[in-house]
Amino acid sequence: MAESEEEDVLVQRVVKDINNAFKRNPNIDEIGLILCPEARYNRSPIVLVENKLGVESWCVKFLLPYVHNKLLLYRQRKQWLDREALVDITCTLLLLNSDFTTAWNVRKELLQCGALNPERDLYLGKLALTKFPKSPETWIHRRWVLQQVLQECSPPSSDRKEQRDSGLRDAAERTRLSERLHRVLHDEMKVCADAASRYPSNYNAWSHRIWVLQNMAQGNLKVLHDELSSMREWVSMHVSDHSGFHYRQFLLKALVRELSQSMHHHHAPWPSLGSSSPRSPSPDPQPGHPHHQANGEATAAAPCPSPATPEDQSLVPAMPQLFHQEMELCTDLIQSFPGHETLWCHRRHVFYLWHHWRRDHDHHDGQGCGSESPQLNHTDAGLSSYPHTASPRGVGIDRVESRNGQAQEGQNAMEVDGVGVPDPRNTKRLKRGPPDPCPPALPSEHSFIARVLEGCRSPEQGCFALAYRKWLDSVIGQ
Amino acid sequence: GTQVKDVVIKSDAPSALLLDKHADYIAAYGSKKDDYEYTLSEYLRMSGIYWGLTVMDLMGQLTRMNQQEISDFIKSCQHDCGGISASIGHDPHVLYTLSAVQILSLYDNVNVLDVDKMVEYVRGLQQEDGSFAGDKWGEIDTRFSFCAVATLALLGRLDAINMDKAVEFVLSCMNFDGGFGCRPGSESHAGQIYCCTGFLSIAGQLHQVNADLLGWWLCERQLPSGGLNGRPEKLPDVCYSWWVLASLKIIGRIHWIDKSKLRSFILACQDEETGGFADRPGDMVDPFHTLFGVAGLSLLGEGQIKDVNPVLCMPEDVLERLGLHPDLLS
Repeated sequence: MAESEEEDVLVQRVVKDINNAFKRNPNIDEIGLILCPEARYNRSPIVLVENKLGVESWCVKFLLPYVHNKLLLYRQRKQWLDREALVDITCTLLLLNSDFTTAWNVRKELLQCGALNPERDLYLGKLALTKFPKSPETWIHRRWVLQQVLQECSPPSSDRKEQRDSGLRDAAERTRLSERLHRVLHDEMKVCADAASRYPSNYNAWSHRIWVLQNMAQGNLKVLHDELSSMREWVSMHVSDHSGFHYRQFLLKALVRELSQSMHHHHAPWPSLGSSSPRSPSPDPQPGHPHHQANGEATAAAPCPSPATPEDQSLVPAMPQLFHQEMELCTDLIQSFPGHETLWCHRRHVFYLWHHWRRDHDHHDGQGCGSESPQLNHTDAGLSSYPHTASPRGVGIDRVESRNGQAQEGQNAMEVDGVGVPDPRNTKRLKRGPPDPCPPALPSEHSFIARVLEGCRSPEQGCFALAYRKWLDSVIGQ
Repeated sequence: GTQVKDVVIKSDAPSALLLDKHADYIAAYGSKKDDYEYTLSEYLRMSGIYWGLTVMDLMGQLTRMNQQEISDFIKSCQHDCGGISASIGHDPHVLYTLSAVQILSLYDNVNVLDVDKMVEYVRGLQQEDGSFAGDKWGEIDTRFSFCAVATLALLGRLDAINMDKAVEFVLSCMNFDGGFGCRPGSESHAGQIYCCTGFLSIAGQLHQVNADLLGWWLCERQLPSGGLNGRPEKLPDVCYSWWVLASLKIIGRIHWIDKSKLRSFILACQDEETGGFADRPGDMVDPFHTLFGVAGLSLLGEGQIKDVNPVLCMPEDVLERLGLHPDLLS
């Protein structure tokens, strides 16, 4: 056999070996290159150990050009490849070179004609990201696939009469789609978290995470707040990760937007992703509960377009409390880890958000936040609830666990615009302890800076503190 | 105290500009076309050619490259839809459409392509909210807004798109720190900032930028080594000497940077043996970092290098020929 024919045979075998490995073990969760400069006689370069797939490096220089050129010949209509061959070849190619855009596009077409299902492609992307956690084209392709999933999970027609008629009959289908969407959302968070841990300040992973929330969980207060809580520990262990902290800024901003929108809308509680999130400890949705049925007019499966319900709103501590917690976190980290620019940037962002929120909401809060007196008599059930000293994590968990017990009570007791009826949950909050002093303002920020400068032993810390002061003076203090 | 993320420039790092070595490096690059690394990067080949040719032109060495071969190659990369792909057989995309037009502009040879079809392709990528998709599959990113208007500006066809809407979208990506991200709500990033300030320059809307605020964020990218990073607590990288520096030039704040320290950093990124620039001192060189190292030095006023235009990253004399003078703030 000629040398190049031998190579072809070898490469075709390797492509087969890779795809057989996936068939044998559908739980492969990581791929990698095994540094191995020479072939061992007659042994496959594809190694499968537990759930890790390895490719010996000696074969890659034959393998990549072969599959690469084969795909391009197909693309130029110079050589036909059937669907299965395309699936195998693009899989091999993308595991070696996950930024090869055209290969991802071939898979898009396979998806469109039904030869691939979206979950399979998401799985391939997940594997590619274990090796190439930044890969821009992998993240870009992922967003397209997720959009296909979103379309599959959305109401099929805009014909309202047709929807009403098919209402109850399709409730099971809607539940199935809703569960699929939740699974996909949950998986995406995990993929983003893994990639973020594999590469510091992974812009692409974090901006993807934001995209997912913007497109698959709009208005979902519970998801936003859960993300804020669950990321606390992660960022505390990655204090240089600017993207991780930016994610928290995004979450805070989104929470502000959702909570302020809900103040201005009057409507009956609608089913939303918030009431059937997989993170809730109780089984969801609750069949027979009047507020969880779609009434044929909307689906619980689609990302919720409607503003937060009063029920959702009760899941989340009020904004002042969230801002206070965030500033506290920032203070702790700045003091524990001196000289990290990221932490000071975070402080700027959070203070900026807080500053503007206060400016926009001072007319809702009769007492305003400049007051020193403890606000024990504050009975507004809405945004202006004061913070308290229970630990941030404790608050979050307490609320989620008690939510379902209180849900019905809350829905009946709560006035939609939060005025008048004393909220039983406020009483619960009161019982947790004395309120904190009012959240930070310019004077307290300046004393914080002074304290840092006084005790400061790190020159970088001193510089960042001074830069923060300069920023406060020029950007805020106007 | 904490060690700030940065590099330390060794005392024996290169401190003189080695232009001849860089020209030799680029001229020889890609001559072994079946190289594995070369295949790996084929998906961006058109941009790779743009990087190589532009840096050669800036060094006055463009004639060493094979104009005919390159023109023929580009022609065979235009698809029926009018868009251009990175290489033969690959799918079209606005990124490579821009690179192709930039290359052909260097040669004053844009008409080997079907220009009207290309303009239609770019127009078709604009979305209702004014944003631009990268290709028919719909990914939105402010980079693509820049690619679209830069392409059309070079062709003299900016009227093909809805500029007001395009501006509206880019401005919606402006963050509280004055910077820009890839989509609304995204983190500020020096590369995206370059694309957005470049976009606003071409659109004649630079007055919408908060130049002092953004300028401050940009000059905070400079580290003790003199190098620039792209975001807080990232290592310096020579390509940010372009993205950050060009942005500062566009918004009229380039004097806020310590120029001589930056120059030392860029020179230290050269490889004295192979020629070319790496992302940081001691690393492997590539054409991408070579272009941005040389372009950065040009912006800093290096006499041996032609003037580079900060908006389009092309020699000023080429844009002069085209009659293109994108706005700069002073």
